[in-house]
Amino acid sequence: MAEIYKLIHPLKYFNDYISREIRPDGRKFHECRNIKLNVNSLKTAEASAVVKCGNTTVVCGIQLELASPKAEEPDFGYLVTNLELPALCSSKYRPGPPSDHAQVTNYLVSNIIVNSKCIDLKDLCIVPDKLAWVLYCDMVCLDNDGSLVDACIIALISSLKTLRLPTVTYDAETEDINVDPDIRTPLKVYGLPVATSFSVYKLPERDILITDPSIYEEEMCGGIGSNFIVCSNQSLLCGTQKFGGSNLPPESQEEALKISRDRANVVEKVIETCLANNCEINEI
Amino acid sequence: MGIEEEKPKAFQLKPMKCEFNFLSKSDGSAILSQGDTVAVVSVNGPLDIKSTSQSIEKSTLEVLYCTKGGKPSVADRYKENVIRQTCEAAVLGSLYPRTGITVTIQELEDFGGLLSCCLNCTCLALLNSGVSMRCTYAAITCAIDESGDIVLEPSKQHLDTARATMTFVFDSREKNLVTSVTEGVFSEDTYKEALARCHAASDLVFNFYREIIRKYANVI
Amino acid sequence: MKVSIDDVVLPGDYCEDIVNAGEKSKVILGPGLRKEIDKVYITKSGVLRKRAPNTYWVDSYQKRYVPSRAENVIGVVVQKAGDTFRVDVGGSCTATLSYLSFEGATKKNRPEVQVGDVLYAKMLIASKDMEPELVCVDSHGKKGRLGVLNDGFVFKCSLNLVRKVLSPNCPLLNSLKNEWPFELAVGMNGRIWIKAKTMRETIAVGNAILGCEYLSDSEIKSMCTNIASLLAGHVS
Repeated sequence: MAEIYKLIHPLKYFNDYISREIRPDGRKFHECRNIKLNVNSLKTAEASAVVKCGNTTVVCGIQLELASPKAEEPDFGYLVTNLELPALCSSKYRPGPPSDHAQVTNYLVSNIIVNSKCIDLKDLCIVPDKLAWVLYCDMVCLDNDGSLVDACIIALISSLKTLRLPTVTYDAETEDINVDPDIRTPLKVYGLPVATSFSVYKLPERDILITDPSIYEEEMCGGIGSNFIVCSNQSLLCGTQKFGGSNLPPESQEEALKISRDRANVVEKVIETCLANNCEINEI
Repeated sequence: MGIEEEKPKAFQLKPMKCEFNFLSKSDGSAILSQGDTVAVVSVNGPLDIKSTSQSIEKSTLEVLYCTKGGKPSVADRYKENVIRQTCEAAVLGSLYPRTGITVTIQELEDFGGLLSCCLNCTCLALLNSGVSMRCTYAAITCAIDESGDIVLEPSKQHLDTARATMTFVFDSREKNLVTSVTEGVFSEDTYKEALARCHAASDLVFNFYREIIRKYANVI
Repeated sequence: MKVSIDDVVLPGDYCEDIVNAGEKSKVILGPGLRKEIDKVYITKSGVLRKRAPNTYWVDSYQKRYVPSRAENVIGVVVQKAGDTFRVDVGGSCTATLSYLSFEGATKKNRPEVQVGDVLYAKMLIASKDMEPELVCVDSHGKKGRLGVLNDGFVFKCSLNLVRKVLSPNCPLLNSLKNEWPFELAVGMNGRIWIKAKTMRETIAVGNAILGCEYLSDSEIKSMCTNIASLLAGHVS
């Protein structure tokens, strides 16, 4: 019955839930979905993480490569992110070259990483002007159920945190490169950026802010891609992006900033716990 | 029929100049300069589009952003997305189902604040094209410099040294935030202050829109 | 922002005068106005106008035609499809025109219309969700002035110019009609068909119409005499 009602009156169906202060999946407005995180699950990648925020699943793997730095920035390494949204993750996507949405989301993710300065690209340089690491961070979304950027950032940061770079010795005279995969040093990650997505839904009398929206909620609030994304790194903001959907009144904005602060703490704990567990396993 | 408008005020914004119908063959077009930053926008539509991208509920907006260099990049896709989502919030697409509205933006000069110039110019071109809109919108860029001060409408030099840049778009009805794009790191308080400053400055842009429409209203 | 009649308006403005008038009697909202819950919002930029007793609209600039009911338009036949013609009127999709909606047309007696012909027709159906439909007869089955336009010359212009030319206050046609003979059909879709004796005269009419877009009434009059004297000077 409910399914038919949803099909016939999609707006009213959603309205009925929202006006009763509850969301269609039973969550409260500001309740986030559970986060499940697993690191180093891919054995073929140097570092990896699988994250599930509710149904949204993102796998991130990091591959390493050596290259010579750019001439204009001789002491900088590279961090290349790539996000794939295959047809598998939602019926919205067609197989083929990366969609606009994938490109935009990838740009957002890499922007957040760059802006938060959590990775110093100078750390990736081995010998200035000669040799530097290239970090290929490939993210694949297996199931897109909204708040994609949040999941991508968690997956990416957890993989970066588990990444251990092999020692490289470079002979300046013979230009010989020697990689020793047995002695590894962990990559320095400064801070921990966390993204929190919001959607704004317009009821006639007021605006409702929904935290961590599912894809259905995102659509009801005006199109794929969350309406409002706040990224905080420790106590600093490193990106607040808002596009599309309903407009955001100042009160909701305050609310969003507060929620994102709390959420950042939660996510931080999740990542820390997961990494600690991972270390224990490695030691055993 | 070039009509020009300068805007020196206590609350200083760069002088804005705008000309409608800059392109004769498109349904609506505008050229806007904010200081030395210049962009041209042409709007075509509502017109027929291929059936795969048609929507039965509303018109499909297509935004094409052309840089001066002409080489498309992922950053341009992102800009297109920002502009498209902003326009979608403003245009009453439900009045033109199964049609497409094409917005083409050409960058002419970039001396800082290009994104907000493009957004404002798009709004003017949409006004000129006669497409029904829910509201107008105004975009303002600001930068946070090294010492943490907020600079409205920063110049290229400011942008190069700035800690963070932010672009905010406000709607004309409730003056709420439509779009925000930020780069760099900043504290929450700075963010709020920048938002408030830009919010106040957006009124000047709306006044400018009204002035332009007033000048053109005499001839229609 | 709150606005009142004869103000310059932008989309997103609202007008309380209209709502107040609406409480007492019925009001007609023309183009550029939209009712949302309890307010009337502006959706186009321009000047808010009122015609007594209760019609309101926004005078705005527009080039692209959006079909609306009962308007006379000029279209070009682009395709014959079974028992209908597809006509390009400049809207987002082509309009249909049944071959039975011509004067005296029956199943046996089909009208002579070819692909490429220019038609002067009336919008019968124009809804945003459906294809527009044209007719070339009035409700009495008479063709009136509608039908195929032979020879002549069609050009496009903005929708404002069309409204200006058709406005009873505009001196353009009154000044021109005394100077030399010509035929004229003006479509609300921004297309104008003209036919005069010679090519020179046709071009002169066309230029006069296009030239008057941004001129005041007195300027239009002087322009018309100017063109007429030029034309007369060269012809003689």
